Amino acid sequence: MELSDWELVQKCQSGDMSAFQELVSRHHQKVYMVILGLLRNREDALEVSQETFLRAYRKIGGFKGGSSFYTWIYRIGVNLAIDAQRRQKRNPLEFRDSMDSVLESQDEVARDPFAELHDRELRENLLKAINDLTAEHKAVIVLRTIEGLSYKDIGAILGCSEGTVMSRLHYARKKLHDKLRSFL
Amino acid sequence: MKLLKKLPRRALLFSCLALVVAGILGAAEKQPQSVQVSIGTILAGNQSDDFDVKLKGMESQLKVLKYRSYRLLKNESQNVPWRGAKVFEIPGDRSLTVTPQEFQDNRISMKVRLTQKQKPVLDTTVKIPNKGNFILGGPPHEGGVLVLSISAAAQ
Amino acid sequence: MNECERIENSIGPWLDHELNAAESEVVGAHVTACSRCSDARQRLEKIDRALSSVLVDEAPKIEFASFWRELKQQIEQKRPWRKRLLEQAGDWASAPRAAWAVPALIAVLIAVLSYQSYFPIWRSRNNFATVESIDSYGRNVALLREDGSKTTVIWLYQNQEGDDEAAEETPPAGPAF
Repeated sequence: MELSDWELVQKCQSGDMSAFQELVSRHHQKVYMVILGLLRNREDALEVSQETFLRAYRKIGGFKGGSSFYTWIYRIGVNLAIDAQRRQKRNPLEFRDSMDSVLESQDEVARDPFAELHDRELRENLLKAINDLTAEHKAVIVLRTIEGLSYKDIGAILGCSEGTVMSRLHYARKKLHDKLRSFL
Repeated sequence: MKLLKKLPRRALLFSCLALVVAGILGAAEKQPQSVQVSIGTILAGNQSDDFDVKLKGMESQLKVLKYRSYRLLKNESQNVPWRGAKVFEIPGDRSLTVTPQEFQDNRISMKVRLTQKQKPVLDTTVKIPNKGNFILGGPPHEGGVLVLSISAAAQ
Repeated sequence: MNECERIENSIGPWLDHELNAAESEVVGAHVTACSRCSDARQRLEKIDRALSSVLVDEAPKIEFASFWRELKQQIEQKRPWRKRLLEQAGDWASAPRAAWAVPALIAVLIAVLSYQSYFPIWRSRNNFATVESIDSYGRNVALLREDGSKTTVIWLYQNQEGDDEAAEETPPAGPAF
């Protein structure tokens, strides 16, 4: 019979590494997707995801089960991602790390620019519009879209009320709509 | 007796404060008068495997670009005053205008504009370490591509 | 605020199933009957579908085995440091140590402020340029940082059509502009 997250946490608190492995196995993809939604850079998102679980492992002794495990892990991950975003904003231009990826992009650039223009432009403009949101607004959009979390859970993760979550979502969706009006 | 015991600690704190002042005064950067900007114009290509010996000093940087041959076309240096612009002629009816902006934390901020036939192709503002450089590449020339090594040193 | 404005603010929570039964019924009935609010609903649904496509459908899958391997390595690496730090933290927290922490901090500040003057070799280790702004006038451009040689590259791509100016140049081999 599959153990619940809380049961696995308790085993982990007793020193059972395989219990922590199971927790990571259950949640790593979703945590990564949320962090990727916030950072929009795969390497950074992977690094922050690793750091999230590392911190969770170090603090798991203090987890009392007051919230669900996933709420707790998302709180760690979102806070780390918001910190990383702030560091990103100081140098917002994304650098490649090898000439190979620079050269690969030349092939994409050289293809017919009118192929799938609308979808690609929508995607690019949506990504840009998401990136232009503040960290707090981006976080509610990402948590709601990727995880379908309730306003209560989102509030618990971000440390704010349900009303604040509702108004941030409303504002963020309105901002996105205003920027993508011509594509929708 | 209590006062005597406190003295070493107070003396230590006061001397630390004095060190701070000395450190700040000593570490304060003297503002340089101008910037020596050097532009190395290099032709990179895949038609041969020749590597110009004059580029030996920047071989590790050029190898990043994955071309097979590199030839130094010209090397030009000019002394540029802060916020003053100097133009460097680049092959292919191109020019590079460099305007140093400010010097802070031993780094030089400068605006760089690449033009072709008087039309701007690229505007960028970069901050490089004093006596450091960056590479600007891509424009085609004579069957290869131009690679510009742009370096700056505060004078 | 008129009825439509009030309902429009509730369409999001209604679609998210966050309203109670009574509120949900009121909003649902209005959205069905009102074309303006019905349009607002459709727009919101389009945004949500686009977001889902970008954030969920296009997100890459992480291979768990390598993720876990890397994480486990970090956990095992960090454990000894943590234990040592915990022991030291107890000593540092005691009052007499706090007094020495002040001059120690000042000494660290001096070292940080002065390192570039007294340790010039540290300066040369970081040749990375910071690109603060860039405008390529519609051309595609890529930025590259190569760790090994500490090189920063700004690379101008050749557009698909090529430039008018470039038409006179012999077409170059490789990724040229």
